[in-house]
Amino acid sequence: MMRQWMVLFKKEWTESLRNFKWLWLPIVFIVLGVMQPITSYYFADIIENFGGLPEGAVMDIPLPTGAEVLAGTLGQFSQIGFLVLVLAFMGTVATEKTSGTHIMVLVKPVSYSSYLTAKWVHILMLTLGSYVIGFSAAVYYTFLLIDQVPMSHVLSGALVYAVWISFVMTLVLCLSALFNSSALVAFGSLGTALLLSILSMYVPELMMWSPGMLSSHSYSLFFVGEADEGFWLSMGATVALMVVMMVSTILLFNKKELAKDSGA
Amino acid sequence: MNELTEAMQNINWALVAPIIVLQFILMVVALVDCLKQNQTNGPKWIWIIVILFINLIGPILYFIFGRRSN
Repeated sequence: MMRQWMVLFKKEWTESLRNFKWLWLPIVFIVLGVMQPITSYYFADIIENFGGLPEGAVMDIPLPTGAEVLAGTLGQFSQIGFLVLVLAFMGTVATEKTSGTHIMVLVKPVSYSSYLTAKWVHILMLTLGSYVIGFSAAVYYTFLLIDQVPMSHVLSGALVYAVWISFVMTLVLCLSALFNSSALVAFGSLGTALLLSILSMYVPELMMWSPGMLSSHSYSLFFVGEADEGFWLSMGATVALMVVMMVSTILLFNKKELAKDSGA
Repeated sequence: MNELTEAMQNINWALVAPIIVLQFILMVVALVDCLKQNQTNGPKWIWIIVILFINLIGPILYFIFGRRSN
């Protein structure tokens, strides 16, 4: 069982080495991470030079705090970062299903659970690895250019956000296993992530449990070193939802494939 | 124009250099891979232009949409 899992896991790695995901995903996150501190640093200069302010107008643009810049970086990750991640992984199972490669894997006595969990661990390692590299670059530039934030705040906030990324990527994998169309997977997962964040922003009282609260918890960890109330509730709910999604996908996927086999 | 050159001088190149290097690496890898592929999704010459002229996004678009799986 374990050997079989390792074989599938290695297959995932050779694939992501071949299509350069291990190279370009970290680069995307580094560039995204570094952009925010640099643009905040030069913002005043840019406005002064190109803003077309009347001669003699004095504008005092305060430099943002380090915590603000780090929160802004995570904001970038939530928009462009998620878009790139979802597009990169939307076809994880879906394209294998349409091209039929998964049948070659699955005719051998391979359990669906090892097939999916091998993919899951691989995706999380790749995305969280890219995120860690990119966010470290952001922290480095922020400390260099803007100001220091206590390291414990940075680490705890970054960790909480990592759970939110894991949640979204689990969603991508599960939708990818259940639907054949990559576009549907992309819209479904981005839409859900967006909906959860927006609802958490506007009706926080109702959405205490929501995984979408995690990003605002990580912001407040940056600012004050403490999460808002309801932190453990949303953390627990997120982990539970991840487990439920994985288990139900394995069960549903199993049934769907069996139905297809008996139908053919 | 004067303002532009002034702004260019104000930029601390040591800070920006890593980004430029990373973008360059990404571009070269995407370009080499694109040239080595037998077939891409859509005409190859368009992908080459996209990779070369759209900064950062071009190579990523190529990696996501341009490569044929297989």
